[in-house]
Amino acid sequence: MINVILHALPIAIVASTPLLLAVEGELVVQRAGMINLGIEGMLLVAAMTGVIGQQLTHSVAAGFAAAVLGALVVAALFGIFAIRYRADQIVTGTAVNLLALGATGFVYQALRGGELFFVPPMTEWVQRLVVLLGWIVFPIALALLLWMTRFGLRLRASGENPEVLERVAFYRWSALAIEALLAGMGGAFLSLALSSGFAENMTAGRGFIALSIVIFGRWKLRGAIVGTALFGIAAALQYTLQAMNIGLPFHLLLALPYVLTLLILCGIAGRVRAPESLGRN
Amino acid sequence: MRQLAAALAAIVLLSLCALAVGRSPIELLRILANGSIGSRFAIEGTLLKSVPLLLTGLSVALAFRAGVWNIGGEGQFITGAIAALAAARFGVVPAILASMLAGALWASIATAMRLWRNAPEVLTTILLNFTAIHLLGWCVNGPLQERGAQYPQTDLAGAALPVAGELHAGVLLALAASVAAWFLLYRTAEGLRLRATGLNARAATWAGINVNAQLVRAMAISGGLAGLAGGIELLGTTHRLFERFAAGYGYSGIAVALLAQLHPLATIASAMFFGALSTGAGELQRTAGISSNIAVFGQAVVILLLILFGSWRSRD
Repeated sequence: MINVILHALPIAIVASTPLLLAVEGELVVQRAGMINLGIEGMLLVAAMTGVIGQQLTHSVAAGFAAAVLGALVVAALFGIFAIRYRADQIVTGTAVNLLALGATGFVYQALRGGELFFVPPMTEWVQRLVVLLGWIVFPIALALLLWMTRFGLRLRASGENPEVLERVAFYRWSALAIEALLAGMGGAFLSLALSSGFAENMTAGRGFIALSIVIFGRWKLRGAIVGTALFGIAAALQYTLQAMNIGLPFHLLLALPYVLTLLILCGIAGRVRAPESLGRN
Repeated sequence: MRQLAAALAAIVLLSLCALAVGRSPIELLRILANGSIGSRFAIEGTLLKSVPLLLTGLSVALAFRAGVWNIGGEGQFITGAIAALAAARFGVVPAILASMLAGALWASIATAMRLWRNAPEVLTTILLNFTAIHLLGWCVNGPLQERGAQYPQTDLAGAALPVAGELHAGVLLALAASVAAWFLLYRTAEGLRLRATGLNARAATWAGINVNAQLVRAMAISGGLAGLAGGIELLGTTHRLFERFAAGYGYSGIAVALLAQLHPLATIASAMFFGALSTGAGELQRTAGISSNIAVFGQAVVILLLILFGSWRSRD
């Protein structure tokens, strides 16, 4: 068993990097008092704009930039409705997801044919760089930003007790921008590194899994990393199990990540304290 | 009024999609209208599409009214249909009842997780959707695959809803369901308790309402309606299961309910609007090669426009 897990570990780390980036972004946003269900759509749009960016310029850097740009557009849309118009965040997030699903599907069908949506494999060192950023650099940077700076204190205050702040909107917009940067990279990594391009609805619920892990990790970075790692290893076991041919049908194994996430959500033992004003306008 | 404006504005915005693929918006509107209400055949298609939308819309409206975020219509739709197929050998009535029961049970998994482990139903219901989709994938590739096992689909169901011309009895069932939902919400004590819980759970508790019991019932009723949608779709329209059976009806129900301002009777008109949009989009795909994804796009645009025009803003 230990051997199996050790074998699955490197795959797990790489494969759950987009998820971790999304978890980190959603953690920042929820700390600022928002539930962004639209992160699923953010990942999906980023996955698509990342591929288009790379294919038009033949540059991986441009691909990542385009992905972040795409995520920023989705974040702006969510922000306009959830912050500016004080709309219900769950309704807004759901609408944003439908919009992203419809828009990417529309563009995909309109531009399909040709080689636009198939990208060459990403070079090894770029992959390693992103993995390093996601698992080590960003967590440290975010920890410092959120808990060691005045900006971070105020950002968290806008999630706990927005009444005491003057510029709540500014901190919530900043949180959304940080999320877009992280989720944008996550989306790009998904389509450029883990897959050979874009496919319709390719995020397959990763945004929702990220939201669940944020809760499981109790809105703390350490919890987020541990949660993602646990999920990643368990999900990677899926492939090992498939290879071992233990008799579980393939289609049921596909359901495994979601069942796992449900178990993770049920594993929040004891009292969980969410940011006080989470989800309120 | 606001709702009508949002719906019209969405159609105008959608027609601009035509420009993106180098076609005229007027032509797109013409095809959309022709394909959805332009002929007797088109109108029947729209009505048939509206049936599952009406039921998933009612499912969402009831849940949201009670303050329960059931985003799991898709999964409840699927499990309802699977149960209906399994029970169809005993006749069409048991099949319909089985679909409601299965949808209610699938939704109740989320209730149980919420009550025992405090897991938010927004997420658990969504995750249960993905689980149900793969469960369906397994069914149509495994235990329920058709004899001969040629395609990933099941055999024809052992029973079907009575038909009149192109329409099936599901139309009547769906209309009856929306009247029943209206009666429940606005003419019974249970409905008052559900709405009170949704408006302010804390105040409801003070008024002596058992909020947890309301959650259990709201989720079960909501899930039952979505399950019924799946059962009717199977017994009336598709007659068999396949991998993409659910086709987003569960998620579309959210747009349907929101456009109807969560009112069960207004949901009828809302479902017909989105039904027309959906059949019209299908026609666009066939004749103009424009992706039918614009129907999903349209649902999102309607919700966002409703917010812009003043709905779903925070009350405090």
